[in-house]
Amino acid sequence: MINKISRRFFLSSLLLIPSLIIGTEVITSEDVLVIGAIPDQNPEHLNRLYKMLSNELEKSLNIRVKYLPVTSYPAAVSAFRTGNLDLVWFGGLTGVQARIQTPGSKVIAQRDIDIRFRSVFIANTKSKIPVLQNQNDLKKLKGKRFTFGSESSTSGRLMPQYFLQEAGIKTTDFKGARPGFSGSHDATIALVQSGSYEAGALNKQVWQSNIKRGRVNKIKVKVIWETPTYADYHWLAQGSLDQRFGSGFTKRLQETLLGMNQYSKNQKQILEMFGAKRFISANNNQYTNIERIGRQLGKIR
Amino acid sequence: MKLIKFPPPILCLIPAITLIPVLGQIFSEIHVGGLEVLGEFFYAAVHPSFNPLVLQSSFQGLQVTVATALLSWSISISIGLFLGFISSSVFWKCFCAQEWQSTAIKNSLAIPRSIHELIWGLLLLQLFGTSPLVAIIAICIPYSCLVAKVIGNQLDSLDQKPLIALRQGGGGTFSSIITTLLPPLIPKIKSYGGYRLECALRGATLLGVFGMGGIGTEMQLTLQSLEFREMWTSIWMLGGVMLALETMLNYLRREQNTKKKIEKFTAQFIGILALSIGIALLWLQRIDINLFSGFSFHPIILPTFEELTNAIYELEWATLISQTILITVLASGIAIGVPVIGLMMFPSKTSVSLQRISWAFLRLIPPPLSLLLLLLCTNPSLSVAALTLGLHHLGVMGRLLKEGISDQINHNYLAIYSLGTGRRLAWLYGCLSPQSRSYLAYAAYRADVILRETVVVGIVGGVGLGWQLQESLSSYAWAEVALVTTAYTTVTLVGEYISDNGRKYWMSPQASKHSSQLI
Repeated sequence: MINKISRRFFLSSLLLIPSLIIGTEVITSEDVLVIGAIPDQNPEHLNRLYKMLSNELEKSLNIRVKYLPVTSYPAAVSAFRTGNLDLVWFGGLTGVQARIQTPGSKVIAQRDIDIRFRSVFIANTKSKIPVLQNQNDLKKLKGKRFTFGSESSTSGRLMPQYFLQEAGIKTTDFKGARPGFSGSHDATIALVQSGSYEAGALNKQVWQSNIKRGRVNKIKVKVIWETPTYADYHWLAQGSLDQRFGSGFTKRLQETLLGMNQYSKNQKQILEMFGAKRFISANNNQYTNIERIGRQLGKIR
Repeated sequence: MKLIKFPPPILCLIPAITLIPVLGQIFSEIHVGGLEVLGEFFYAAVHPSFNPLVLQSSFQGLQVTVATALLSWSISISIGLFLGFISSSVFWKCFCAQEWQSTAIKNSLAIPRSIHELIWGLLLLQLFGTSPLVAIIAICIPYSCLVAKVIGNQLDSLDQKPLIALRQGGGGTFSSIITTLLPPLIPKIKSYGGYRLECALRGATLLGVFGMGGIGTEMQLTLQSLEFREMWTSIWMLGGVMLALETMLNYLRREQNTKKKIEKFTAQFIGILALSIGIALLWLQRIDINLFSGFSFHPIILPTFEELTNAIYELEWATLISQTILITVLASGIAIGVPVIGLMMFPSKTSVSLQRISWAFLRLIPPPLSLLLLLLCTNPSLSVAALTLGLHHLGVMGRLLKEGISDQINHNYLAIYSLGTGRRLAWLYGCLSPQSRSYLAYAAYRADVILRETVVVGIVGGVGLGWQLQESLSSYAWAEVALVTTAYTTVTLVGEYISDNGRKYWMSPQASKHSSQLI
């Protein structure tokens, strides 16, 4: 009995395979704009945000838009290189990495806050690290347990490491001869607040939003230094969009992003979720400094 | 050099010694600074998020995970069984009276096996784009090779006397193998195969790399943002599926245990595999995942000889490798020894079921999460990384051990126990002893898996080859990536050589005679 049934299962399943292959509709990437983002927010937030954004872009550009939730920094860069993503919300470093690997791609927009972005250095209050007076004071972090965020993060690793280096601190100067990599800005706060790491560096925007939401215990953790400004997150578009969607498409795409405002309910919500008042125009040249630092620290080869 | 020959059941206990230095260091640096966050985490366990959007996205993720797990499981079991047979020395001895082919195949399988599926995913993504098909292939490569190793080793550790007898009596090669080796292998295939499905369910964080979502992705993102309530929604959902799966597998295993005819089993087995593939493919199509979308070839520039030599000098190999080995050894010791000690010390029914629940829980919590939780109350060190991996895999080893013990007939235990021996000793020699060989075989490749997984614990002060691999990958330094993966493979091969010889040394017939004398 079982024998017969299993044989039938087996045969029918074998039949299924080719029919599925033939039956699958071949969707050419030409007719869909695939957008992606560096994942640094919670899934509920991301899903809501990108659904709304896709709808908004579909409406104003009259094309189909799909959101591909790629969850790791290197994967997003590679997916952009292989042409699986058309428009990506990148961080400073990952955007430069992706642009170098993908000839023709260009920066089209950034948030109003990205043009002068900052990182903050935070410390556990028990660590006895004082508030630093200037960049040179970063030397006081020598011999402390220190953590960065994710290894590809601009505000959680690249720029903090650069400012440390400028102050004469190598990553081997921390306790254990290596810094930690907490994996995310939120994890950096939690770990420094617990005291497991005595100090850490992260995105200033995330720090502020955590304070606003009451997730920071100010008795246990404090800001000790704020970095100078640098250009960070941006929208990076493939260079081939005009060929695929018609001439002038990239321009229209940019205009749609820049035109988002507080008057439309949807657009207002999108901007709020991005933590911005509006998007502003941006270009490749703003990131030459990031590229130089990336090369200096070995994150761009 | 002469080493003391311990009987196999004692060998299962010894690795637990590593718990002492690990716990020693962790307790010496313990603190209460992270209690409030830990509190939030445990509070969230009983108050998971019921936000419809969260539920919807977790449920969608669960479907993606289950469907891809079914597909990659059935593919890797089929390929793994085949590779397992052709990599066992019994097989080659029967066919051409030589076994060098078996060694050659075994060693070449160590290369794909020693690299984590996440790394396979990132490498293949470079070449073929974000196609779901590539994700499935990336999962199947190390999984098939792992199944192959397990099946190969189990085949070789089976009692070969019946096979020799049949062959001497003139039995055909193929039919002798099937008649004598398949029946004792069936319970192992059932137990291990079922367990692999659970692994495939848990291990699918890779899907996020390909933009496919999945429950692992949900967990990863909620972990990054420390949204514990949303995280628990996903954990409980996955836990529910794992529980259902385990109940079903237990039922399947109990039903007509071992008495089933070979052909019936084979037909059922093939049926299950084919059915899983069919269901998985239909399911994926239903949830709008097109296996072949986005598949295209993108060549990458291979590193030059000069770049490779430069990379050799740039990395601190001694530190990287020794840290990796240290984490692996400590974690494996915990994973192998602790379940044995637990079951021996607390053999009562309630405490065994409590242990089973805690094992399931340890398997359910992904290592990056438990690492963060541990780090909230102790300072970063190698021991934390080792304990994290050790705890996770302890859940796995405990499960395999308990299943092995429940599958065997316990007359040895009853005999020893009724002679007046203490319950614990009776368990050690009655229950554990017959299982210890296969348990130690499982232990050897569990160490393999742990070695691969050192990739995910780099958070602790950027340690080991695993962290270096992630760093090199995110810097697109292909020369370094090539060298680090080579280092992984080398460590795996050396480890394998040591464990194989260790097994030969400690479990030669003399040793087994020794243990049977003890009985």
